[in-house]
Amino acid sequence: MSLEFSDKTKKTIDKIIARYPQKEAALLPVLHVIQKEFGQISEEEEILAASLLGISQVKVREVVSFYTMFNRKAVGKYHIQVCSNLTCTLMGAANILNFIEEKLGIKPGETTSDKRFTLSTVECLGACEQAPSMMVNFDYHGHLDKEKINEILDNLE
Amino acid sequence: MKEKVLSEHFSIDNFFKLDVYLKHNGYQAVKKALTELNPEKILKEAKAANLRGRGGAGFPAGVKWGFVPQNGDKPKYMCVNADEGEPGTIKDRYIMTHNPHLLLEGIIISSYCVGINTAYIYIRGEYENIALRLETAIDEAFQKGFLGKDILGSGFDLDITIHRGAGAYICGEETALLESLEGKRGNPRLKPPFPASIGLFQCPTVINNVETLANIPSIILKGAEWFCALGLPNDGGTRIFGVSGMVKNPGIYELPVGTNLKDLIFKYAGGMKEGKKLKAVIPGGMSSPILKADEIDITMDSDTLMKADSMIGSGAVIVLDEDTSILDVLTIITKFYSHESCGQCTPCRIGNSWIKKIVTRISRGEGKDGDIDNIARLASNMVGKTLCPLGDAAAMPILSIVKKFRDELETSIK
Amino acid sequence: MMKIYIDDREVHVEKGMTVFKAAENAGIEIPHLCYHPAFPPEGTCRMCLVEIEGLPKLELACSTQVKDGMKVHTKSEKVVEARKGVLEFLLAEHPMDCPICDQAGDCKLQDYYEEYGLFENNFSESKERREKKIRLGKHLIHDNERCVLCRRCVRFLREVVGTGEMGVFERGIATEVNILDGMPIDNNYSGNLAQLCPVGAITDTDFRFQTRSWFLEKGEAICPLCSRGCNIFIEHHRGFSRFDLPKRVYRISARENAEINSYWICDIGRYGYYSLDENRAEKIIANNNISIKNYEAVLAFFTEKIKRLLYKKKTSRITLLLNTFLTNEELFLLKKIFQDDLGIKNIFFIDPPAGESDAILLTSDRTPNKKGAEELGFEITPFELGNLADETEVLIIFGNYIAEIFSLSDIQAYFDRIKDTFLFTPHRSELDSKVGIMFPTAMTPEKGGSLTNVDGKIQKFSPVLEAPGDGKAEWKILAELGTKLDVNFKYYKKFLSPEEIFRQMQKEIPFFEK
Repeated sequence: MSLEFSDKTKKTIDKIIARYPQKEAALLPVLHVIQKEFGQISEEEEILAASLLGISQVKVREVVSFYTMFNRKAVGKYHIQVCSNLTCTLMGAANILNFIEEKLGIKPGETTSDKRFTLSTVECLGACEQAPSMMVNFDYHGHLDKEKINEILDNLE
Repeated sequence: MKEKVLSEHFSIDNFFKLDVYLKHNGYQAVKKALTELNPEKILKEAKAANLRGRGGAGFPAGVKWGFVPQNGDKPKYMCVNADEGEPGTIKDRYIMTHNPHLLLEGIIISSYCVGINTAYIYIRGEYENIALRLETAIDEAFQKGFLGKDILGSGFDLDITIHRGAGAYICGEETALLESLEGKRGNPRLKPPFPASIGLFQCPTVINNVETLANIPSIILKGAEWFCALGLPNDGGTRIFGVSGMVKNPGIYELPVGTNLKDLIFKYAGGMKEGKKLKAVIPGGMSSPILKADEIDITMDSDTLMKADSMIGSGAVIVLDEDTSILDVLTIITKFYSHESCGQCTPCRIGNSWIKKIVTRISRGEGKDGDIDNIARLASNMVGKTLCPLGDAAAMPILSIVKKFRDELETSIK
Repeated sequence: MMKIYIDDREVHVEKGMTVFKAAENAGIEIPHLCYHPAFPPEGTCRMCLVEIEGLPKLELACSTQVKDGMKVHTKSEKVVEARKGVLEFLLAEHPMDCPICDQAGDCKLQDYYEEYGLFENNFSESKERREKKIRLGKHLIHDNERCVLCRRCVRFLREVVGTGEMGVFERGIATEVNILDGMPIDNNYSGNLAQLCPVGAITDTDFRFQTRSWFLEKGEAICPLCSRGCNIFIEHHRGFSRFDLPKRVYRISARENAEINSYWICDIGRYGYYSLDENRAEKIIANNNISIKNYEAVLAFFTEKIKRLLYKKKTSRITLLLNTFLTNEELFLLKKIFQDDLGIKNIFFIDPPAGESDAILLTSDRTPNKKGAEELGFEITPFELGNLADETEVLIIFGNYIAEIFSLSDIQAYFDRIKDTFLFTPHRSELDSKVGIMFPTAMTPEKGGSLTNVDGKIQKFSPVLEAPGDGKAEWKILAELGTKLDVNFKYYKKFLSPEEIFRQMQKEIPFFEK
């Protein structure tokens, strides 16, 4: 196997697996850890997850391809996910998306050439009271307008 | 000021921390339940409180617990549904962010009641930061002996694990949630058997929504009678209504079950934004059939909304103003359900996609005569014929829109 | 026992039975795609919805258990409308090119469309484009556009074979079943997938575009390629009057037998049908200046050779090489004639070498009737060339496996010492020129009789095909030989069919009584 975890991650994974009476049940949390460590769940990561949990790669692929949060290709350092569901759209999500597209020069599904940003649209994030909203990695940002987006994106490391 | 069960302390700084929580009567309910009450008494109280599930289906929580067989030798599990994916819904996020220990208390008491020693909180994957906060709260509770072995000397053990989803609306459906928790695709299971008898890992399982469980501590402390009196006789307590869309003050409003929808929008949420006229309201999350402006003088409770051919669902109110294009709404709804269909059963997989394709074509300006009829026909062909409730959840709002806004939709075709 | 009513008919059912099963038992067919009796119900295709009085929604026949007094309607207006609705969904995204689909005629979707559909096509959107012609494995082609996602293939590979090569990937309308790149299905049960697929999504490369299923006749047979005795259909073509077909048999499929092979057969059995049409021995071959050509004369010649030794009380000069492809009836006659009547001790068996067995169906024996031979009292002594006694004058061989096991020159060296060699075989081989007389015989599906499987289960069967040319079933030859030898004329005279032989066996051998 070519992928290697840090010792710390190994321990985390052992702890996760111990939380379930059946190893396979740890698949989602283990995939989250793998994605955090390697940035994606491509074929190699699938094989790694399969061997950790003693299941087939087919079963891992079934799961990886079902859930939207597993990135089968690497995303940029910052993954911007703009909500395109009802409330956010009512509150101007389309303009927000356009603005980000222009600002970064990419369309949803694309990554900037410096691998800094990936842009996606997503379904409801559960932050409708602050629509329009988006996630940058796992940080929620609401009440978006052009100014706020500039402030958020320009202040990232 | 109305009495608040869940959100009373939301504004207190660091309320999510155990030491602050303890200063405000924290874990008194757990203490009372585990040291003064027995499981039978708790079950009786929960039933008497008429606490209806806050996740969407509105099934009485106490009755649900009562379905779990008490004499098997298999372990029993508690699954907390924190998947909050119903568009418009924000309440569980607030509870978990601001009052995580209240939820933990609810889990401890209900697990004690049903005889459960292992609980999982299935939280939507996007809520990573909240999952971390819950994780910390669990650690704190362990340290203080509210979780773990022999809680408060009662002999009762409980362990709680946070399990993050990974982006699938369907996992809010309880059997899909179980599949997902078992490390599989979120395909809903055939019922029967029901999770109460065969659930997680083939064992008896209770699945409750976050808000539902967060009500339990107050019921224990103040009694079922008090709780019922807050709301309606057969639909007790308060609800955290999430109001979003074209209102002045979008946000959460904890109000009694049975609060008037009109009041919710105009009194509490400040009325329409920019003085626009109200066009329609989606009263209980996207799956609930739409109400026209003249239909909103109605109380927000399970039975009344059902009578109005809609549903209270998750209590997520989405407000549409006069500028809203109903075709846009329909487009977003059909896109959403088509995207979120798990794909295993025929009517939902193909029906949703088909309807989406028609609606998308209409919004490209390529609509044709008969399209609206066809949408209604296809949606009707989904109703009651799918394996899980997602088929109905998609078809019902579509049908209500077609019925109530047909004229407007037809104009998009001509 | 309980009573329920299906379409107003009273049906007796057992507790725990599903509505589907109850209807099936009553001869009422309920449309279904995902349901297959080998697996727990999935309830995903939604074709088997039925109306149950007192319940608000239509329920699944495949998973709903019967309740005493239940009133079920399988053809009510509500049910028919629902089926049409589901079918319309399925057909919306399905290619409408039945004429070029290999499954046509065998396709559930096609059948149901005729029964419930025949509606206008209201789908005017663009269809999903999916991968077609995916090579799943040696025998299988997958067309994802035709797939209805019944998941039978996935479940079969997981639950029956245990290899799990296929999975369900993506979700929503993009959901598909597939294998992973570079990890094809190469287990010995792969062929079942094509048979299990209710539509034209998984087809068999071996059968694809060779013929149309409606031309085929399905003959019930027993697979002779190991000792499991799997029940099969031999699907063969009667041919056309104006031109010849290159072969008779186009495919072999599994035939349900709950006690033996469930719904499956292995690929060895499924793809082993070429031997029925290829390289068959059709004409009698006589060497060494023996100038006889027809069956009667050969039999007379053969009988004469044996009789001569019998009168000289030198039957010990006869050696018999048998195999366990032979039926119980044939082995019984061989035992009666050669062992009991003639007192021959030089009886050996020569079978194809044993192979790998698996925990599913395949046994290590590569013949169907070893157990039968044992129960008949044969000692299965494998044959070595050295077993040929120096005094052997007449060598009678059944089958040509000897040529697969020993080198031809070694065989020749032994044959040279023997006066008369008779070979009874269904196939041509290099032995044909080495023996005195080669007599073409029938293969298992070309004769009637019975076989005893590895677990001692006796299965009777009738001929599905005719033996080509002069080929004859061994039991017939043996019954005639028995009559002609004149040792026990009356005894053999009554054996005009395998059934009569079997009845005699039952009288004589307790094992066959049951």
